[in-house]
Amino acid sequence: MSDKPTIWRALDRKAMAVAEFTLRQQRKRLSTWVVMGVGFVAMAVLTMFYIDSMMREYEAIDNDGDSRDFDMDGYPNGQENLYGTDILDPESHPGLLNPPVAPDDPSKWINEDGFDIDSLSEGSYGYDDDGDCRTEDKTDSQQDTNNNNIPCDVQIYAESYSNNFRINGDNEVDEDPDEDAYAKESIHRAFVLALGKFGFVFLIGIFVPLFMATGLIRDEMSSGTMHYMLSKPIARSEVFLYRILGFLGLAWPYMTGMVVLAALVTGFFGPSEGFFRFGDLGVWMAILLASLLSLLVYAMLFCLLGVLWKHGIILALPFAAWELGMILTTLGAPDAAILRFSVIGWAMNIVDAGAALTWTDTSLLVALGLWAGGNTLGGSEPLTGSLALEIFASDSGLGMTPLVTIVVSVCVMLVQAATFWFIGGALFKSKEID
Amino acid sequence: MMPDPTQEGKGQTKEWKPDVDMPVVYFQGVSKSYGRIHAVSNITLGLSGGVTGILGMNGAGKSTLFKLLMGKLKPSAGEIRLFGTDPWKNPAPYAKVGFVPEHEKMHDWMTALDFVSTFARLHGMTRDQANTEAARVLDFVGLSDVANKQIGKFSKGMRQRAKIAHALVNDPELIILDEPLQGCDPLARTTVMNVIRELGKMGRTVLVSSHILNEIERITEQIIILHQGKLVALGNLHAIRERLDEIPHTIRIVGKDARSLAKDILEHPAVFGLSFPSETELLIQTYHFGSLHAELPGLIVNNGHEVTLIDNPDDDLESLLGHLTGGGA
Repeated sequence: MSDKPTIWRALDRKAMAVAEFTLRQQRKRLSTWVVMGVGFVAMAVLTMFYIDSMMREYEAIDNDGDSRDFDMDGYPNGQENLYGTDILDPESHPGLLNPPVAPDDPSKWINEDGFDIDSLSEGSYGYDDDGDCRTEDKTDSQQDTNNNNIPCDVQIYAESYSNNFRINGDNEVDEDPDEDAYAKESIHRAFVLALGKFGFVFLIGIFVPLFMATGLIRDEMSSGTMHYMLSKPIARSEVFLYRILGFLGLAWPYMTGMVVLAALVTGFFGPSEGFFRFGDLGVWMAILLASLLSLLVYAMLFCLLGVLWKHGIILALPFAAWELGMILTTLGAPDAAILRFSVIGWAMNIVDAGAALTWTDTSLLVALGLWAGGNTLGGSEPLTGSLALEIFASDSGLGMTPLVTIVVSVCVMLVQAATFWFIGGALFKSKEID
Repeated sequence: MMPDPTQEGKGQTKEWKPDVDMPVVYFQGVSKSYGRIHAVSNITLGLSGGVTGILGMNGAGKSTLFKLLMGKLKPSAGEIRLFGTDPWKNPAPYAKVGFVPEHEKMHDWMTALDFVSTFARLHGMTRDQANTEAARVLDFVGLSDVANKQIGKFSKGMRQRAKIAHALVNDPELIILDEPLQGCDPLARTTVMNVIRELGKMGRTVLVSSHILNEIERITEQIIILHQGKLVALGNLHAIRERLDEIPHTIRIVGKDARSLAKDILEHPAVFGLSFPSETELLIQTYHFGSLHAELPGLIVNNGHEVTLIDNPDDDLESLLGHLTGGGA
């Protein structure tokens, strides 16, 4: 670095001084710690519900009933079907075959035919693991109940009037998935998205700036201490910006710490083959990015509202309500045009795009859970976790590739922040300070 | 153009040059009104160098005048120049200004050294420079031994001195002090007055406001008197006072033997009337306040009287203003 004095360097010194001052000032306030503590407790309570749902055993349902033993001969129906013995005749079972076959534990026949579908696109998928469709007892038409001329498969149709897919399987193909594994995987993803979207981006992203940034300029204006800062050769829009920087100096590490903590907890408790779900890190990065940008944009906006009116928090509350409406809209209609007029709509784009990059099969997971193997015996109940995941997972609304969506959304949020800074600085400059 | 997190090396504030042809402080027909209330009306004045006292009752417009000069308020009419620059539009002249606001509220959680050095950095100083300069000015105002104590634990006088230190840290050419003596105990008052006088001797332009005539009198002879937002007098205090000498004046003396003291004082040629509001109280009427006031201590001591209080109920701003505005006390 050269020793040449520059205007930039002088600006930079002032920036550091004001930001450092603001950070220390916030740190000395009890209210800061109360707000941050409440945020932490709220997130911790939500995370406890998550841990509980991960520790729980989800009841395995025998959709096709082949774990039962109708003739009480000790051999489950599924095993008898496989060996071609009569499930209703206790004198006919695989134990009488040569060589005799030992009876299976009935639990082996509960979740014996999981989903063999690897892509949510039009085509024929599925495999009848337990052989209750492929059995020779069935006629050709019984093996092709979905009428696609392929026996014992699952057909996925693209619906012509929407982006959705319809799943239609032949009877007793992929009909008995592992409910516990499905529930944990989908609840895990649903929770990560819910905590990221509603916990970090919305709750902390809005309420921490609401309580801490609204008064950044206004409190000092009211108490008279702003005179000290404004009697120095520093432009008011600079003061505005540097105060925000000071606020972010506290709020960003706080948010980062909470997101990292949540990523660790869900990484260790979530379903995974290793000891930690490294695969989720992409989603967490997107959540962190979206929540840090939310803090920035909301801080600029709320500080602006504080400058505008001494009861700026009253202006900020309806805005927070608007943002709540918008985040709910992103869940159902992520491509709604009205979302362009919100902050959170763009933040949600980042989260959803990050999730799309990381978990490429979420929509398949949802579709399978809702289909639930056709539920040969179990009625039409969707699998546990599928509804939750359907609610919290959305497509990013821009209709672009995930990476482009993230880049565009980040740029838009930075422009929003710059705009609020510009307006806030101009308002502050026109304010008389008494 | 890289950020400078180490905060080292020389700095430079924005390219701004003071206008040398203009007075340091320049008001041309400046008014500030809030609806129908005129806080300041039609003030024209130019100041450069020396200590100037701004006298006025509470609400006379002293603080408004300062806030206009510091760009906190926008004038309703007229033109203000600080080193030739409009302070409402450009904060650059504050590089040469130190402002001590009247507000008592301070950043109580900071130590005096923190407070002074943090705001010094807004002048573009490095951390080290700011600390050195802060230590220097805290020593100048006599706070060096409590520099690391929290401002919240300071007495009023110490707080005032900390505020003054913060305003002096950039070695300003113009220092504006809004009621710096308010709430100070006698010791702090003396210190603050000495500091202000010292600054005047150093050739700085100092503006100091007060609503107490005696205070200003002890600091400077050059005064401006504001009344109801208008400038009613400007100039040397003695010249203004001379006009006061021809006006009847009251001296109040409280002591055990007020009546016997009255006998001795009645002989003084300047006295034209006496009254006794109570057993221990004596009111003296005089046309020559200055000479009587000078001789009074001698009269009391030589005649062995016990006096607990000598007071000049008329020698305040109120009666001065009364005479200046033609109303009479």
